Amino acid sequence: MATTNATISINSDISSYPMRINNSMTMLKAGTCHGLQETTGLRHKKFTSTTAAVIVEHDELTDDKAHKVYIRNVSSSKENFFYVAYNASAAAATTAETIGKLYGGDWMLMPYNGNVNIVVASSTTETQTLEYMVFADGIVAAAG
Amino acid sequence: MATTTASVSISSSDLNPGSNLSINASSTLMKAGLTTGLTQLRTGYESIATGTEFRLGNKATEMVGDAHNIASWVYICNKATDDTYYIDWGIHETMIGRLYAGDWMFIPWNASDDAAEIEIEAQVGAQTIEYAFFASDFVLPTASA
Repeated sequence: MATTNATISINSDISSYPMRINNSMTMLKAGTCHGLQETTGLRHKKFTSTTAAVIVEHDELTDDKAHKVYIRNVSSSKENFFYVAYNASAAAATTAETIGKLYGGDWMLMPYNGNVNIVVASSTTETQTLEYMVFADGIVAAAG
Repeated sequence: MATTTASVSISSSDLNPGSNLSINASSTLMKAGLTTGLTQLRTGYESIATGTEFRLGNKATEMVGDAHNIASWVYICNKATDDTYYIDWGIHETMIGRLYAGDWMFIPWNASDDAAEIEIEAQVGAQTIEYAFFASDFVLPTASA
């Protein structure tokens, strides 16, 4: 059994009392105490178009499981961003399933059921790079 | 200017045999398209009953300005301890993932319209969540007359 730990730390002075969140989790298979054992690997991809693109294909993953998806906009611009969406079609912006926007340097980590693709769309034709990885609770072997 | 930083560290010595995994990232949470920090914060610690989809946080119309340009952030942690318990989370009627007992999540949320609300539903049993919204555009609901 593999052990994968994820720790988040958030510090903020928005309020007059300092706010700190520190939390760790071990990524487990759905409904069990066993660690996730599979991954699609850590990927880096450059985007030079605003055309939406699938970065996580759900049919590679077992449905209704406890996958985790990590995504980071490696670029530095705070003006440009990627839309991130959970969508069957090739659209990531202004759809009902748009989750949010990742500006330069932003990252996210979310649980993912593996039922529908994860799609992104860059806001610019300037080069932006995404780093992403799926921690999988079941990868479906490709059909021959 | 307020400063909110969010950092993550993901590590495993045995997920990829022969290769240690170590991912570290940190970002300062900014207003959409700007280099000024977010200024609003909402936190909560709530029990969630099973059998009902609940809205977590504001609707887009409860925020100022062009909601689709909002760069807000959401942190949620499932405080349950039973490994079989989880919370379905999603955008409006579309469930995206399962937040199992002990898990946390951190996502950007642009709240494009009222139908882009964050929804959660406890599965298996009632659970408690801890959450925080970091935003720039919340407004309080108007009081009833």
